[in-house]
Amino acid sequence: MSRSSTPGSPAGRPGVPAGHRAHSFDYTEDEDEVALDPALVTSPGHGAVGVFQAPRPVPRRTPPAEPSAVSAGENADIDSPFLDLFGGGGRPGSPRAVTAGPSTREQPPIPHQPPPTASPAPARAVPELEPPWTPAEPPGNGGRPVEPRHGGGHPASESRVPHQAGDRRPMLRPPDEPDPSTGEGSPSATTGPVRRPASTAPGGRPAATARPAVQAPQPAAAASRSTAPPEQPAMITSADRPALERTARRATGKEVVAPRQRTASRPDRPIKPTRVRAPKIKFGDRDPSVELAITEIAGHLTFTPNTVTAWYWLPEVRWAFRPDAEREALLSAISEQYAGLAGFRLHLRRTTRPFPADEWARTIDTHTSAPLPDVPGTTGWADHLVAAQRHLMAVNHAEGQTYLGVTFARRSLGDSLTERLLRTFGRGTADGERRKLGRTVEQFDEVLGAFGMRGRRVTAQELEWLLYRSVALCMSPPSTLSPVTDGRWERGDLLAMTEQVERYRTPYGSTVKLVNRMTGEERHVAVLAVGRMEPLEIPERHEPWLHFHERLPWPMEISTRVDILGSGDSFRNLEHRLRMIRSQQLDYAEHGIDAPPELERLAKRALVIGDEMTTGLPVDSARAHGWHRIAVGGRTREECLERARRLIQLYSRELRISLQHPKNQDWLAREFIPGEPIANTGYVRRMPVPLLAAALPQAASNVGDRRGDLIGRTAGTCRRPVFLDLHFPMEVRERSGLAVFVAEPGGGKSTLLGALGYLAARRGVQVTLLDPSGPLARLCAMPELRPYSRVLNLTGSEHGTLAPYSLIPTPLRSEFGTGAPGDREFEIAVSNARAERRMLVQDICMMLVPPQVAREASTATLFRHAVRQVPAEETSTLDDVVSCLGRLDDDAGKELANLLLDTAEMPLAMLFFGRPPEGLLGADAALTVITMAGLRLPDLKIEREYWSAEEALALPMLHTAHRLAVRRCYGGSMSSRKLVGLDEAHFMEGWRSGRSFLVRLARDSRKWNLAALVASQNPKDILGLDVQNLVSTVFVGRIAEDAEIASEALRLLRVPVNDGYEATLASLSAADTSSSSRLGFREFVMRDVDGRVQKVRVDVSYVEGLLDHLDTTPAAIAAAAGVLPSIPLPDLEA
Amino acid sequence: MRLRTDDDIYRARLVYLGPPGYTLPVHLPYAQYGLFLLLVPLYMFIHWLFTLTVELFPAWEIALAIVTTSFIFRHVDPDRPARVVIRTALTDWRRTREPAVEQRDPRLVGSRIRIREELA
Repeated sequence: MSRSSTPGSPAGRPGVPAGHRAHSFDYTEDEDEVALDPALVTSPGHGAVGVFQAPRPVPRRTPPAEPSAVSAGENADIDSPFLDLFGGGGRPGSPRAVTAGPSTREQPPIPHQPPPTASPAPARAVPELEPPWTPAEPPGNGGRPVEPRHGGGHPASESRVPHQAGDRRPMLRPPDEPDPSTGEGSPSATTGPVRRPASTAPGGRPAATARPAVQAPQPAAAASRSTAPPEQPAMITSADRPALERTARRATGKEVVAPRQRTASRPDRPIKPTRVRAPKIKFGDRDPSVELAITEIAGHLTFTPNTVTAWYWLPEVRWAFRPDAEREALLSAISEQYAGLAGFRLHLRRTTRPFPADEWARTIDTHTSAPLPDVPGTTGWADHLVAAQRHLMAVNHAEGQTYLGVTFARRSLGDSLTERLLRTFGRGTADGERRKLGRTVEQFDEVLGAFGMRGRRVTAQELEWLLYRSVALCMSPPSTLSPVTDGRWERGDLLAMTEQVERYRTPYGSTVKLVNRMTGEERHVAVLAVGRMEPLEIPERHEPWLHFHERLPWPMEISTRVDILGSGDSFRNLEHRLRMIRSQQLDYAEHGIDAPPELERLAKRALVIGDEMTTGLPVDSARAHGWHRIAVGGRTREECLERARRLIQLYSRELRISLQHPKNQDWLAREFIPGEPIANTGYVRRMPVPLLAAALPQAASNVGDRRGDLIGRTAGTCRRPVFLDLHFPMEVRERSGLAVFVAEPGGGKSTLLGALGYLAARRGVQVTLLDPSGPLARLCAMPELRPYSRVLNLTGSEHGTLAPYSLIPTPLRSEFGTGAPGDREFEIAVSNARAERRMLVQDICMMLVPPQVAREASTATLFRHAVRQVPAEETSTLDDVVSCLGRLDDDAGKELANLLLDTAEMPLAMLFFGRPPEGLLGADAALTVITMAGLRLPDLKIEREYWSAEEALALPMLHTAHRLAVRRCYGGSMSSRKLVGLDEAHFMEGWRSGRSFLVRLARDSRKWNLAALVASQNPKDILGLDVQNLVSTVFVGRIAEDAEIASEALRLLRVPVNDGYEATLASLSAADTSSSSRLGFREFVMRDVDGRVQKVRVDVSYVEGLLDHLDTTPAAIAAAAGVLPSIPLPDLEA
Repeated sequence: MRLRTDDDIYRARLVYLGPPGYTLPVHLPYAQYGLFLLLVPLYMFIHWLFTLTVELFPAWEIALAIVTTSFIFRHVDPDRPARVVIRTALTDWRRTREPAVEQRDPRLVGSRIRIREELA
């Protein structure tokens, strides 16, 4: 054993004691450790080392008595080239002879070992085993195995050993342990030695290539090692071996293994220190790869051998719900930019990035300081977020990214030769060339950066992303990878991943199959080319024609290659064509045949166009000749083709563009990759530049903030998730928090209100919902909310609940600044509150008396008088007003007092009289729903005289109930988030106090961080109240009945009226007449605080049970009440 | 804005009516004659490879060239010039010789691309 060990380990180094051996062994382990320590992994090389460890189990196999046989077995059953390596080392059958080969491999490792061994050698012989281990371990601490080893030799090092040993052992052991057992079982020296080579090889030596990588990372260690190794290894090997072996035998199973490895290696080492090369991997089938045409990415430029392309990022532009004038301005600006690029070849690429759901979840979580505590047995906050993320992923939202490449330079032979030359030295294009290009490129910055495209230079990372996405066309990107936010990806990593993507196709096939070798993902891609196009009316009637595909729910890629021809080129091109047509006409004439009429028509058209070109602006004359392709992907061939079919259908039906599905798909797919050649010259489209501008692939429809709850997705021209944080306007945009919901009955207002209330409550917002009709009360029955919610049914409440005086809170001095100005503000606020109370009380009184009486002039005077008498404080009551009226000398006053007392006989009216009960609305409940179940709401279109007494009472109740709902929000701290949802707000219209209420709400919303949601059936109510400027968020649901209401709603959205958008409102949530099931979703047009308007499809189905609880259909309500057995309800989106 | 392509101008059908004074009974696009004229010598060459003789009147070649031309032009339209059709046929044809139904194409590998964060 000793002999074997000595020869192998030293690689010709004689003087290494056993202790050294141990060290060396440790070394390998240390290296492993280094590889495992994430902090130390600085280069890919480390990773490689880590990989090598895996095969360790091999040693076990070798241990058996018959090493040779074992080794053979190993080789046989594992394909990995690395294992081959080990096998070679381990060939125990003829340890020495075989080892010769292995020894060479192992030598590299040896050098490391020697340093430690050299010093410790003398003393180590006996303590060797333990000390050696330990020394190795110390290195692990710092990741510098070398130093510890040296120390190991010295006493000091020994002392360290114990600590370190403990730490490291666990890590090292696992691989080795198998060996020890085997070693013990067959302690024979031969096995030991044999082992060595095998084990060592796996550990760190296996491949010479691996070594260098390892060393590089640990500079300090490397230096020491490198110096030491040559001298010491030999010595160590001879001396150490014995020691090692002993140790192994003695007891430490783990240790045993190590020694063996060394022994095995030693015999060989002495012979030659040649480098080990990883064996070439050979696969049975062909494994060809082709380099991309792009050879270098420098900043935003890409270089191919012949051309240079400058890449720009085109930000998304809003398209939907913009006035046509604005759109036209945008298009003409873009076409001017294209015209400015005349003479260049453009590559316009649109790719996608999966929506970063995790990022969003993190954002919302950080903005949620105190989510609602979890209720056991229900979905907690974390699960809630997970469900939302799952939903996001399932719906497959993708964000578009548009890149524009301008190929602008034909490289000279000298340049590309220089690059080739420099590449061999690890440098790319020459500095001079790049500097020169840098100046030329500035002209594009100027052209593209202006209004229109507003392009900015891409970064190298984004180009990498684009390249990866283009090679792996339509495949899912590496998980957790995003080009913008993820810093973990090093430069070039992404490109390296293109190696995994294999491409298959069938002859004359209609798809290309892409397979990711690492993940096993399989994608079938069909590339469609834009064929014949009919005239389009882009802003008025049609969508941008390369944005249109985003209606479909799966992500697609676009590649457009166009040559922009300036006026000269395009005219020449056209003239040539015209001459051909004329000559054909002449031919027909010569032959005495009637020329087809189309020739004359085309010739005339060519003449007109030619005239435009020669006399018009550059925009009119510039032409874009090129190829437009759309790639559709699918998991299976059938899916892919089905999607392609649907896309073709959509385009031919809606845009009258025929998408063609040509053969030669692999070439077409390759065309998507920047720098690659154009697949073929078929389907070239020749168009004026404005038509190219109207392709507008960068159009998008984002709406909402990206930090709120997921409430659905946009449903217009593309699909994006919509998030809404109702406190975003106040906290970030410093706007009011008034949000208005307008829709016809059945448009989904209440459900949306309830869903938003629920989501906000989950985030720990104090939510108060006023729902006169009552279905939202069922929200409080949801298991996760039940402990934190309460329902206040006004119809069953105590006297004084709605006492008008106490509904308006008295401002607190603490709410205002200190000093004299603060005092003044406070005083003003107090007197305002008083004035508002008086106004409210007057209005309530007017509502309580019959309309005939209210209409008399004296009534208002008397009420005003009485209200003036009563101090306008919170403590006053309506009874005070009545008694005040009764004390008047005037008969009319007494009569009014009696009338009020008459109404007070009705149980509901008693709510207005008396003092409010204490603690009616505590601030504790996260969700409070105020209902007025059983109350009959009057129809506002009917004169008040015809209302029943009950209906008449509903009006003041609603007024006061609104105030009550808001009143609660003034209880807590000003900065805490609060949300009030008020349904049926249209009853506020027509009363002074109503307007003052909404204005106050909007004004206070910022100060109190109060999000106020106001739902109404008629936008006029809001417009009539003239609080439009204070509205930050608007939802408009289906309005089909009344065109006037629709245009009012559009005004609320600030969308141009009479531009055809009324029809859009009417078509919202349109039911499919052929289906007998209920409509599963609701759509709204939403305007967010930043003024973006989009059609939104509300979808909160990811919250388990929410829709069931929000279902307001009669059947559902009955089911909820237990009248009916629970019927499984179809999912209802909002 | 009414936007339309210029494609129709390029879609005009240009046919050869015949030499001056004589109108051919069939009017075929110029490209078709061109292709025919290319194919005849090609077939003659192939024939020569087999027989090492050149026939005075290459009847077979002409017949084959006519058939081939008409076959190719069946797939030609204004959007798909003959060049593209031939090229597609040839590129895909090349692959069909492989026995496997599905053929792996070379991987396109971008790992050797050099990257600089900044241009200069």
